Amino acid sequence: MKRTLLGSLGIALFLALWQAIGQFKLAGISWPPLSAVLDMLSDASRLPLFRRALSATLASTAVGYAWGMIAGLALATLAHLLPWLRRGSDRLAAVLNSVPSIALGPIFLVLLSRDSTPAAVSSIHVFFIVFVSTSSGLQRASAAHRDLFEVLGADRLERFFRLEFPAALPPLVSGLRLAWPAALIGAIIGEWFGASRGIGILIINAMQNFQIVLLWCAVMLAVVASLFFYGLLTIAERAAYARFG
Amino acid sequence: MRPAERAIVLECVSKRFPLPGTSGGLLALSELSLAVGAGEFVAVLGPSGCGKSTLLRLVASLEKPSTGSVAVNGAPPGLVSARHALGVAFQDHALLPWLTVRDNVALPFKIAGRHVDAPAVARLIELVGLAGFGNARPKQLSGGMRQRASIARALVLDPEVLLLDEPFGALDAVTRRQMNVELQRIWSERRITTMLITHSVDEALFLADRVVVMSGRPGRIIREVVVPFARPRDPEVMRSEGFHRLVDELTSALDS
Repeated sequence: MKRTLLGSLGIALFLALWQAIGQFKLAGISWPPLSAVLDMLSDASRLPLFRRALSATLASTAVGYAWGMIAGLALATLAHLLPWLRRGSDRLAAVLNSVPSIALGPIFLVLLSRDSTPAAVSSIHVFFIVFVSTSSGLQRASAAHRDLFEVLGADRLERFFRLEFPAALPPLVSGLRLAWPAALIGAIIGEWFGASRGIGILIINAMQNFQIVLLWCAVMLAVVASLFFYGLLTIAERAAYARFG
Repeated sequence: MRPAERAIVLECVSKRFPLPGTSGGLLALSELSLAVGAGEFVAVLGPSGCGKSTLLRLVASLEKPSTGSVAVNGAPPGLVSARHALGVAFQDHALLPWLTVRDNVALPFKIAGRHVDAPAVARLIELVGLAGFGNARPKQLSGGMRQRASIARALVLDPEVLLLDEPFGALDAVTRRQMNVELQRIWSERRITTMLITHSVDEALFLADRVVVMSGRPGRIIREVVVPFARPRDPEVMRSEGFHRLVDELTSALDS
């Protein structure tokens, strides 16, 4: 209760500060007051634009998120079940992660279409986070549980499905939670390589035409999309820890 | 004991663990021989670090002997575990936190790929005194109740041997005593060949047919006592003079 109260107070303070800085132009003309941003966001004539941009970005993010999750889960599981694959897959994931996605963009652009680049960049971000959280999660079963399964004569797959995978779920869901904002960033960066619409395009256009309020609107949309799903996944994470923790 | 009557046989077993900085490693067990008869309850008593848990882990197929041989009903423990015929309970109850008590007790059926015998699971839950708690999760149970569930799980497949590694070691003295009385009752109904590892002299004497005392590292058997009390045993037996005399005898053997 106290935490919620303090949290709401913090958010209110932040928004008030935003409004004040914009109102009195404390940070110059590129910081609009909150009310101007909200006015534009609720402007009926701009609604179709925002809706198109947001749905395009969310669609790319969802596709990238799904592929990244499947790839991360699959490789982590394979590497867990096939020890000879483990070291190589760890290296591959680390190398992929150390390449900045802005450098990968052009490659995807050449390999894929302009409109699938956002999803591709997004999936790379998600892949790494899901791979790492699944790999470490699969090591999480306690020594006593492993001993028990050994004595009971469980084979490799029985142990995986009845012990290791359920034990890995809490860290895996934590990974999925952290992967969502990363997926969104990936999609927005990916859009900069020439997608036809999306939040990233909105940001670029607003910036190049010096439409400051529009730029802030685009950022605001990205933040809300990020926080909304992040919040949902936080609830899922709590449930996972309560059940499988 | 005729060979056919021996359910667990350890012959001249040594176990050495690699230890950095030593040439030969750590010698945990030295040329130990022990046989447990079919339907016999043997308690292994020893100071901490004497290798008594290693002894159990050898029978449980969790370790391999460095020299010597281990057999359960004539077969290497690995084969016995593969035919799902070992029952085990550790000091750590090792219940899966995401399963209910009923599903935890039924787990060995699923691991063995057998159809879950629901009435057998229910009977065992009742036998260990957890009737009505089948749908509870381990988190909701007390330490003693979790150990009851873990013992029910150990018994559910009617194992050839039951291996107990200080199952009540983490419980308080009062609960531990109650659990001993319960285990005595449960065991008297089933009479499964049992090996109990413990450092409690009272526990060993109250539960076992035979008590084996091990020395400190490297572990060897220094004493064996056949427990004379008739079954089923009343907790009153722990107050008898004969019981006290055996406690004294074993305690001094442990101290030597």
